[in-house]
Amino acid sequence: MSETYVPFVLFVLVLLASLLSLRLALSVAIVEIALGVVAGNLFHIESTPWIDFLASFGGVLLTFLAGVEVEFELLRRKLKASLLIGGFSFLVPFVAALLYCYFVAGWDLRAAEIAGAALSTTSLAVVYAVLVETGLTNTDTGKLIMAACFVTDLGTVVALSIMFAEINWWTLVFYAVSAVVIVGGPWAFRWFTRRYGGRVIEPDIKFIFATLFGFMLLGKLGNSHAVLPVFILGGALAPSFAKQRDLQRKLRVIAFGIVTPFFFLKGGMNISVSTLVTSLGLVAILFAVKVAAKIVGVYPWARRYLRKSAMYTTLLMSTGLTFGTISSLYGLQSGYIDKSQFTVLITVVIATAVLPTIIAQRFFQPPLPEAKVATEEGSAMDTGQSEP
Amino acid sequence: MFKKILVANDGSENARKALQKGVDLARCLGAELHMICVEEHLPHYAATVGEVLEEKAEEDSYFAQVVREATEYARAQGVTLHSLVTPGHEVETVVRYVEQNQVDLLVIGFMGHSRVLGRVMGGSASNLTRLAPCSVLVVK
Repeated sequence: MSETYVPFVLFVLVLLASLLSLRLALSVAIVEIALGVVAGNLFHIESTPWIDFLASFGGVLLTFLAGVEVEFELLRRKLKASLLIGGFSFLVPFVAALLYCYFVAGWDLRAAEIAGAALSTTSLAVVYAVLVETGLTNTDTGKLIMAACFVTDLGTVVALSIMFAEINWWTLVFYAVSAVVIVGGPWAFRWFTRRYGGRVIEPDIKFIFATLFGFMLLGKLGNSHAVLPVFILGGALAPSFAKQRDLQRKLRVIAFGIVTPFFFLKGGMNISVSTLVTSLGLVAILFAVKVAAKIVGVYPWARRYLRKSAMYTTLLMSTGLTFGTISSLYGLQSGYIDKSQFTVLITVVIATAVLPTIIAQRFFQPPLPEAKVATEEGSAMDTGQSEP
Repeated sequence: MFKKILVANDGSENARKALQKGVDLARCLGAELHMICVEEHLPHYAATVGEVLEEKAEEDSYFAQVVREATEYARAQGVTLHSLVTPGHEVETVVRYVEQNQVDLLVIGFMGHSRVLGRVMGGSASNLTRLAPCSVLVVK
């Protein structure tokens, strides 16, 4: 397809994805990936420099938003259990997927490392949606699972940053500047939003974007990846963001409206349907490797800390989506994996978003709470307190 | 006859008619009246927590208004309304509530998907009629 038509066609798909997402109550990301598959395989649309740019920034912005969602207070209260559950939830699948891809599937070491990172993830967002739906967000189980997700996410971004860094002077500059920005960021952000926030031209959003682009630039110069400092910066700014709901919403509107759709569309465009058909066996095996490794890594600790909901916890910790996609796209863009390996990995990532969730919801559904007589203030909302 | 009546209310015009019928029946029969509102549009398999939070906030705000109006209406008719707003799949959640609470009569509006989707998946009303383990009154 001629490049002239590409922006129009892709934006129609972006619009269609949001409508289908609302209609089907499916995450817009999943629908965008699916429509990306259509764009790539049916319309034969190939990525252009502007799509690459938006997709790269989309990955960084998603990482930042994931960091902003970290609740350090929650992590602090459940530190030991979350470190053990979340740490092993990252480590065992990472090693298992890496070893399988390297020794059995015959991938080279770099590709196997990308597979390890992509399949080690747990999706906090997928988990959170299930916890909301099952009414468990405010229970001990829900809080510990969320805290463990933060730890697993951290493991993945550390792996991505360290494994692929080729150290030069710029790398040292990158990490030194990152440390300064992370330490000074919360203060600078508070000062900036007090001074310039709340205006229609949005200097505060531009301040965040400029910082993220700075990380991307230094990461590139330092032959590393910006995900680690970006994730930690998001975490450092989380308390400030929690107090600025309006700013948080604006950032999400920009992210979902114009940036992240191209990240997920690009993911879908790089899926080859013909490769997928011939690689279904490997997809099934890698899915099994990830889930089995999560069971080995998570279940024993979940039994220790959440005895009654150990399998529920294990299933939820087996989910993955955003960081799995980020890792796979990073591998593809950097040339560590080829299109067929990307197709396999992204399919496994999506399968892990869907299948463990369905099983967890189907078999570990806690009872619905009692209906209440609404007061004058009118709340009959379910906050959910019962364990599965 | 019916001791516990449940109205499923998605805030639509037909659901409002179902509520009115449920209130009338509860008053005439001296039955306990329950109402369930299912937040069915929360995104599954979300990419960010924000996506879920924003949608949940919108659904909460919408259904808070639905509950307020329904409670006021029932109160004006001299009926106490027990209400629950909960996320989930519409049909599955309503059926679970009926089973868990030994509801005798489920009152629903003629609601559901578009004609095309309804033909493929079955409308919500027809699915509830088929799956609920109690009598079902579909109000038009």
